[in-house]
Formats: sequence, C-alpha cells, structure tokens
Amino acid sequence: MAKVEIASLSKRYGENFVVKDLSIEIPQGEFLVLLGPSGCGKTTTLRMIAGFVEPSSGQITLGGRDVTTLPPWKRNTGLVFQSYALFPHLTVDENVAFGLEMRKLPAAERRENVAEALRLVRLEGFGERLPRQLSGGQQQRVALARALAFRPDVLLLDEPLSNLDAKLREEVRVEIRELQQKLGLTTVMVTHDQDEALSMADRLVVMSQGEVRQIGTQRDLYERPADRFVAGFVGRSNFLAGQCEGDGAFISAGGLRMACTAGVRGKGTLALRPEAVSVGPEAAHLDNSFEGVVEYISYLGSVLDVRVRLAPQDRIIVQIANRSGEVLPKMGDTLKVGWPATSGRVFAEES
Amino acid sequence: MTLATSEVAIVRPRSRRPSSMALALIGPATLFCLLQLLVPVAILFRYSLNRFDPASYMVDALTAENYVKFFTDPYYLTVLARTIRVSVVSTLICLVMGFPLAYWLARMTSRWKNLMVILVVLPLFIGNAVRAAGWMTLFGAKGFINSVLLGSGIIDQPLTLMYTEMAVVVGIITVNLPFMVLTLQSVIEGIARPIEEAALSLGAAPFQTFRRVVWPLALPGTLAGTILTFILAMNAYATPVLLGGPKFTMMGPLVYDQFSQSNNWPFGAAVSFVLMATTLGLTFIAHTALRRRRVG
Repeated sequence: MAKVEIASLSKRYGENFVVKDLSIEIPQGEFLVLLGPSGCGKTTTLRMIAGFVEPSSGQITLGGRDVTTLPPWKRNTGLVFQSYALFPHLTVDENVAFGLEMRKLPAAERRENVAEALRLVRLEGFGERLPRQLSGGQQQRVALARALAFRPDVLLLDEPLSNLDAKLREEVRVEIRELQQKLGLTTVMVTHDQDEALSMADRLVVMSQGEVRQIGTQRDLYERPADRFVAGFVGRSNFLAGQCEGDGAFISAGGLRMACTAGVRGKGTLALRPEAVSVGPEAAHLDNSFEGVVEYISYLGSVLDVRVRLAPQDRIIVQIANRSGEVLPKMGDTLKVGWPATSGRVFAEES
Repeated sequence: MTLATSEVAIVRPRSRRPSSMALALIGPATLFCLLQLLVPVAILFRYSLNRFDPASYMVDALTAENYVKFFTDPYYLTVLARTIRVSVVSTLICLVMGFPLAYWLARMTSRWKNLMVILVVLPLFIGNAVRAAGWMTLFGAKGFINSVLLGSGIIDQPLTLMYTEMAVVVGIITVNLPFMVLTLQSVIEGIARPIEEAALSLGAAPFQTFRRVVWPLALPGTLAGTILTFILAMNAYATPVLLGGPKFTMMGPLVYDQFSQSNNWPFGAAVSFVLMATTLGLTFIAHTALRRRRVG
C-alpha cells in the first residue's frame, strides 16, 4: 500500500470541466471518500486514478511513482466495480488469481495468496464455484478479494455497495472498513450515499459540478461546512434567506433579527441544523429565541420533524427527540424555539 | 363456495394462458417449417434412391448407385473439396475481419451507431445479380482494376481476376460478412464493459484481456456466426455461378444443374444430400471441437 498524491487534476471535454483542479494527498492507510451528487465528477476522478480516463492536466502519483500517463494494466490499482464485474466464465479461485497470474507469480505462491484473500473476505471453500452460483453479497466479496489479492498500491471502490440490499449494505460497510483498517489499505471510495460516506471514511471530499467544495473529516463537514452546498448535502439544514449586517447579525426575509457567527456582509443564507434548535422553556435563554406556529409534524419514531413558521417567509424544521411521556407538539400549537448564535452559519449568496 | 370459484377463476386462466398462447405464437411458423422443409427433404431423399434413365428420366428403385457415382467420380469429389475449401477460407476471413468490426460497433456509444449498423447491412440490400455485375466491372479483363494497372504501366497483360476461386471467395465474403458482424456484435454487447475494465485494472494488457476474457465469453456467439456463414457459403449459388464462371463448379450450382439441365433428379437429390450431410457434419465437428476447448 502506498501514498496517493493528486496534483491539480482536471478533466475537461471542450469547455466543460468534469473535474476541475483537484489536489489532495492521501496518506498511506487512509480511507478517502469522494462524495457528491451524480455528475459531480467523483467517478471520473476515480477512473482517472485507475487509468481509464486520461486527465486533461494534472498529475497522479502512487507511492512516489508518477502514473499519470500509464495505462490501467501498469498502474497496480485494485478496483472494485459497482456491478462487481466478475469474470463469469472463471471460478472464484480463478477470478481472484487473475491479477496474480498477470503478474506471473509462481503457481504455489498464487494459490497461497488466493486462499489468503478468500479467507480475508470469509469465503473459504467457495473457490470452485462460478460467480453465478453466489449471492450478491458473496459476489461483492469475491470482487474485493480479487482486487486485494495482488497487493495493489491503492484500493479503489466505485459505489461498491449500491447493488446490495439495504440491510446487507450496513453489514458490508463495517466489514470493508474493518478489513481496510486491519490491512492498512489506502482506499478511495466513490459514493453518492452520505450515510455510507460518513460511516466509512477517514476523510471526505465533497464535490459538485466538477469542483471540490470541501475536504475534511465528517465533523469538519458537518459542523463547519464550507459553503451552502456542503451544508445542504452533508446532513440536513434549514436555509433562511436574508441579509447579513455583519457583526454576527442576520436579518431574515421575514424581518427577524438573528444572532449568528460573523458572516460576510450582504445578501446571504443562514443555515441551521434541525437538531440544533431547542424547543419549550429552555429555548428562552438562548441567543435566538422566537415563537412560531407548528405547521406540520412528521412522526419518525425516535424523532419528530416539526415545521415551525416563525414569520410568513421564515419556516424552519425542528427535530425533537421523542422521549416517552413527554407532551408532543400538535399542529397549530404555538411553540417556543431557540438556538445559540454559534449554530447559525451564514453563507454569502453564491454567484 | 364463492371463495373456491373465485380462486379457480383467478388461477386457471393464468396457468393456462401461457401454453395456449405459446402454441398460437409458435404454431404457424412450426407448421410452415414442417411442410416446407421436412416434406420436401423426405421426398428428396426418396428420389435420391431412384434410378436415372435417359429415356424416361426417373425410375422407381431402391439403390445407392447415385451416392456411389458421386464418391467414385474424381470430378464430383473435386467439386465437394472446392466447396469446402471456399467455405472454410471465406468463413475464416469473415471471422478475422468481422470480429474487430463487431467489437468496434458493440463498444460504440456515439449516436451514429445505428447508421453504422445499417452500413454493415447495406451490402445485403443489393441483389446477388446486381452485385456480381458490379464485380464484373471491377474484375473483368477490361474492368476497373485492369484498366488502372494497364494504364499506369504496372502490367502489360490484363490479369485474370474474374472466374477465379479468389473472385468467388471475395464475393462470398461480401455477402456473408454482415451476418458474421451482426451475430458477433450482439454477443460482444452482452459482455459488460466493466468486465473488460476489470481485466485491464488487474494487470492484463489489451491482448491478454481479449484472450482471457473477451474471446472466451464471445465464443458461443462466434460459433453461431461461424456456423451461419459457413452454411451460407457451402450452399452459395449465385456468387459461384456469376463470379466463378461455367468451369468453376460448386455444390449448389451442381445440384441445380442436375435438376434443370441434365434432368437427372435422382443424382441431383443425392448431391443435395451429400451437401447437406457435409455441412451438418463439419458444423458438428467445429462445434464439439470448440466446446471441448472451452471446457478444457
């Protein structure tokens, strides 16, 4: 396993940038997730690392080796596809041995590595089967074993879990993450699923329309989103339009004065996490305290989403924990809501 | 009571409809094939056992003399050998030329793809006679190729291009290549692109990827395409007659001549059966040989 360095990597078709000026260093053993909506350039980035897409500019280095212009078969990357892409005419053993065979490993060593890889993904005894004789989850593990068996410099996962059903997906997440940590695999995963991204990554890159919006840990992204896009894409946010007066004062479209972290002067948006809002008597002591009317309630079990109208133009969703025995708000109730100034983040209007 | 009847009403049509539906769908075609194919074949086989008499043509008999005549006369054996040679060569060339083209078509994502497919099929829009006339203007002693070569002084005697085995092979390839390409294209399209990419990322160079992944997975379709073009070549009629000339006889024209020129129906029928048996036999051998290699 090795360190991956990406320096001002771009891919453009004509005037249209699919990936724009991406730079990141991935230290050995890090699990990096590229997260973003479809068409954000995350898959193109992964395919550039794997060698299937030629960068328009920039450089990719694997363990100090410049691979920017190398074809895929000379890169030594372990790629797991969304569709697994197992060779249907080869047995599980032969699938896993494929990379070793291409590297001309002696047969004895090859058998050892195949057995080891299958043991890692808990598929001992499945070597003689054909891919079609396996379940989706097993096929996924064969794909992982195949990508690991030849000790690649970096493991690349292209939406590896999206073909699994929801319950299995959560198990496999943990499995892949544990394996990755145990073996110290430098890993780059692409996903559009933020739960998946948050639960597996050491660090994330949030992308949108080919551009990197933010690079950081889960906590960085959630608590200190760099822009409105990140605030909306990672976790949920209420967005209130308005005007920032500077000095931590925001005037909403409905004319409410809200204390916030110091923001840029001018037109902007205040982002507020639904769970950062307190309700009831405790709301009164907070920097921002308002009264609103409950417009809509979604009962989600452990929590309730309550839509509160603070002013005709200002509505926020408030997430309330569902503790037993507590009186829950009803539609039409007047509710006291409040939040500290540090919970409100103001973003200047995007050009 | 109501429950029972409603259950019956629901279950019965569902279980019955597919079979009666299937019968209605495949029935007419099956019946047509039976009548049009099996009946003439049976009659033909009976004819091949009859005796030929120059005065009264066909005489009822039960004899193998027509088959004996075929297999003891070097002339007919030469015709058979020539037919097999031309068919094998043209089929192999179709495969070698067709595979890259089919691969390119199958992996094409441009909006011009449908147009390209039509271009591949386009030669089939032209009838055999028209196509052969085209070849004549190209290959003839005063045709385009000879005119150019003579005119530019590269040769001083016209080359014999028409009425050669080469002309027939080229002609058959023109007709058969679209069949090969279309068959292969659909098979290669069935091999998901990520499967090839997986091989590449695992360290297999493009040729290795072809040898280890694309070729084995395309084999069933390759077999189908090869058999199809081989059968078409074995039974070719117009191309060998028009491009091979009167002396270049293949099995198809031989059958026709026996029926229409010599009026020797029993021998014509026997030749038909030799042709049919050879085609099926060679197809079977190729099929089992490839199967075995795939398993082994």
